[in-house]
Amino acid sequence: MTAFFLTYLLPCACAFLACVGFTLVFNIHGVGKLICGVGGALGWLVYLLWGKTIFAAFLAAAAIGVYSELMARVRRCPVTAYLLVALLPLVPGGGIYYAMRHCVAGENEAFLDTLLHTFGMAAALAVGAMMASSLFRTIYTHLYHRGRRR
Amino acid sequence: MDHDKLLNIAVEMGCQLMASGAEIYRVEESMERLLLAYDLPTAEVFAIPNCIIASVNTPEGHPITRMRRIASHGTDIELLERCNDLCRHLCAELPPLEEAEALVMGLSQCPRRHAPWQVLVGHAIAAAFFAPLFGGGVLDTLGALLGGLGVGICLLYGKRLIGSNTFFRTVICSAIASLLSLFLVRIGLGRSLDTVTISVLMLLVPGVALTNAMREIMAGDVVSGLSRTADAILVAAAIALGSAVGLGIAQLF
Repeated sequence: MTAFFLTYLLPCACAFLACVGFTLVFNIHGVGKLICGVGGALGWLVYLLWGKTIFAAFLAAAAIGVYSELMARVRRCPVTAYLLVALLPLVPGGGIYYAMRHCVAGENEAFLDTLLHTFGMAAALAVGAMMASSLFRTIYTHLYHRGRRR
Repeated sequence: MDHDKLLNIAVEMGCQLMASGAEIYRVEESMERLLLAYDLPTAEVFAIPNCIIASVNTPEGHPITRMRRIASHGTDIELLERCNDLCRHLCAELPPLEEAEALVMGLSQCPRRHAPWQVLVGHAIAAAFFAPLFGGGVLDTLGALLGGLGVGICLLYGKRLIGSNTFFRTVICSAIASLLSLFLVRIGLGRSLDTVTISVLMLLVPGVALTNAMREIMAGDVVSGLSRTADAILVAAAIALGSAVGLGIAQLF
């Protein structure tokens, strides 16, 4: 139980709070704060469950994409806000830093390795959210129009 | 109908949308809808991240075009949501042009904004709670909190000193972030230098540029998408350059 709390619940709570912090920076008010925070926590949970790989980042971004589209439909607001904030914890800031550390230390192989991993993470995030959003829209409009015809 | 005034209203609306960080397709579509709603036969709008061009044909066949340049801007979601709501309202109700003009001009005046201290607290909280995500303990969290506060002050009040060049500003801010983390860890606030530095640097990462670039490409605006991608890569390079300063000094001592 304690292990579960430490490995999953605590990081997700931190991701939630970090995202809420960012909502203050991007001027998001009201329920939007909560939605952004939950989105960030959800993304981080998926990322943890799949073991912090590039594929995990892809899945996490996809989950965030679907979640933000859903919330935007519910609240009739632009999707940008939710997607923007919820994806932030996953952006590879650590990768940029470690790549530079290896570069300064003159460890060329480790530098290139980290650099490629960082690019991979960024690409996975972008493609994951993009695919999920597009797929959601296609399915949603399809279902919506079919529901209306009946 | 006064078509000049209508075009001005639409361009002002587009300008506000762009300044709030909306996607290109949203700006183009909102302006087009607004112009067509007021019974114009055609409306052409073209936008790239810092320029809007709108052209209409009056019913008499007289073409009017307006171009507007938009200075670099941040992200303001509250303004974006208000613009979106107002555009929907105008298209549905079609109020007289004077009233519409007053509504659109009032957009930038009184949206709810967080006070500067709240934004600072936001920076500090965000940095602090990134520390546990990168494997930090309580002490690292405290260090990142203070580091985030410092970078927040730089971002908020340093604009006049550093200038508005994004690349240069990011280099300076990330250098300050890495130096501040180094200092904090050396005086005992934080156990791992890497964790504290990364947590503070997370405030600068080009997450916004990356997300925006992806959304532009998804919507089919490849030109804007590429320019925002270039923006994201430049900011990432700037962070790397700035953090090298702190790393270099850490190696010396």
